[in-house]
Amino acid sequence: MASQLSFTGFAWKNLWRRRLRTLLTLGGITMAIGAFVALVGFSRAFEHEWLRMYQSAGTDIAVVETSFLNTSLDESLGAKLNTLPDVAQAAPMIFNLMDLTPDVNALVYGWRADSYELDSLTLLSGRRFRDGQPEVMLGEFLADSLHKKPGDSLPIQGTTFTVTGVYHGGTALEAGAVIMPLDQLQIISSMEGKVTAFHVRLRPAPPGELQDEYVKSAEAEIEAALPGVRAVPAAQRAANNQLVELAHSVAWGTSSIALLMGILGTANTMAMSVFERTREIGILRALGWKGRHVILLILTEATALGLVGGLLGISMGWGVLRLLSTLPQTASIVSASVSPIHLLQSLLIAVASGLVAGAYPAWRGAHLSPVEALRYE
Amino acid sequence: MNNSLLEGRGLVKSYDDERIQALRGVDVKIEAAEYIAISGPSGSGKSTLLHLLGGLDEPTHGEVLFKGSPLGSAVDLDGYRSRHVGFIFQAFYLLPTLRAVENVQVAMLAANLVANHRAERAVALLEEMGLKDRMRHYPNQLSAGERQRVAIARALANDPKILLADEPTGNLDTANSAHILEILRGIQEKRGMTLVIVTHENAIATSASRHIRIRDGRIEE
Repeated sequence: MASQLSFTGFAWKNLWRRRLRTLLTLGGITMAIGAFVALVGFSRAFEHEWLRMYQSAGTDIAVVETSFLNTSLDESLGAKLNTLPDVAQAAPMIFNLMDLTPDVNALVYGWRADSYELDSLTLLSGRRFRDGQPEVMLGEFLADSLHKKPGDSLPIQGTTFTVTGVYHGGTALEAGAVIMPLDQLQIISSMEGKVTAFHVRLRPAPPGELQDEYVKSAEAEIEAALPGVRAVPAAQRAANNQLVELAHSVAWGTSSIALLMGILGTANTMAMSVFERTREIGILRALGWKGRHVILLILTEATALGLVGGLLGISMGWGVLRLLSTLPQTASIVSASVSPIHLLQSLLIAVASGLVAGAYPAWRGAHLSPVEALRYE
Repeated sequence: MNNSLLEGRGLVKSYDDERIQALRGVDVKIEAAEYIAISGPSGSGKSTLLHLLGGLDEPTHGEVLFKGSPLGSAVDLDGYRSRHVGFIFQAFYLLPTLRAVENVQVAMLAANLVANHRAERAVALLEEMGLKDRMRHYPNQLSAGERQRVAIARALANDPKILLADEPTGNLDTANSAHILEILRGIQEKRGMTLVIVTHENAIATSASRHIRIRDGRIEE
């Protein structure tokens, strides 16, 4: 059986003739897509975990300052919030990211001992903390990382806290977190009398009223009652809180730079390849290849680099996420789950990168004069 | 009106803002199934004429007609090269990463033939060239004569009516030159093709049914 030559087979042979250069280019694309998968996947998973946390606690609305970055509200507003007819409970809260040891940092939440949000957690050992006491509860993952159990001490920001309980939470943001009395976190954060937000659980919607409309009317009611604050649905708050915004910005910024480097590397490879094959392109034109066939060949080569680099990058990025989700330094904010849409998006970006990188070399190859190309030494 | 298969009218080809003139007004008519040799000193313009006749390049002035239609306007150059013309070069110009049988198929990739058909045709052509045992060899594993035979098979891949050979024996020893010439003549007779050979060699020039001499970009009759 004679070997059949296909268009893609021809493209593959062209790539494989310069193995080292092809592999190095693939390495560049793999790193770029790997960074995109890991960083953007992390930031999206981070947002998703926030939403899950709100949902599991039953939070409908978050009340924050109009300027949501570094939001800081007077704790006294809670009393008025709790008098509004649609509000079942408004729980003041603070959250922060703190170094617990040189190797371990974690999200720290300040809640009141009677907050409804505590009800969504399952105590595995010990008891809840008490307001006014230097006590903390640890998520099971964090307790494991720190080797702490109820009764142990834990120094945070110069204050020694007693671990009163270890709980199970449904999200990575809870499993790797510290929860302490609101007043204690206000003291160590120098936020006395202030809170980051109020989490609001609404009363059940009146019969016949759609939940979305009910939440909207409740938002309007809160904003009317408390001028200068914003009431945002939990999903929007999950996407817009300052930590998630920061994670999205860093992820996209870093990924974009990595992708640009990957595209430039591929473009360089394809440009070199076309330059070296000038005479061969002339031969193909002499054999009747149209300019569009030459473009197709070069773009097939560039797209193949993008596709293979993309698949390798997705594997690498996924591996990095899995690793980060197990490390004590990052486990509290990283989930290993990556949505299929994100994977598809990564692959499309990889292929598109190949197409962009191959565009100019392909155009140049297609516009070579056959005679000039055949004369090329 | 009785059109020639191929006709060059007032062909001028110049370079460098017309400071260098490779062809200075060439008129030539080539009929179907003719065997023509074009000879002349180096730099006389014979390869340039072959390139214009084959649609590899366009004249600065004048026109090339294929069956009465001008190339480049009425006849698309890429399609003309793909369907009607087969090129054979002195330096063979095989693609180094492809096996002999794949080199022949490359010419058919642009012609929308199905893969099976491409492979079968490449095998048949290489067998016709006496290369049955060399099909899976790469160009650097073949002798010069074998490479030129692969190049001839490739030129025949799309079943063209015109075969244009630019110094096809220029890189071959005497025995291989004679063999290649015999193959080309055999193909021309068997298939009724038009064969135009550019050559320095008198033996080839005198074997042709018509011999065109070029000097300083003009035809010497």
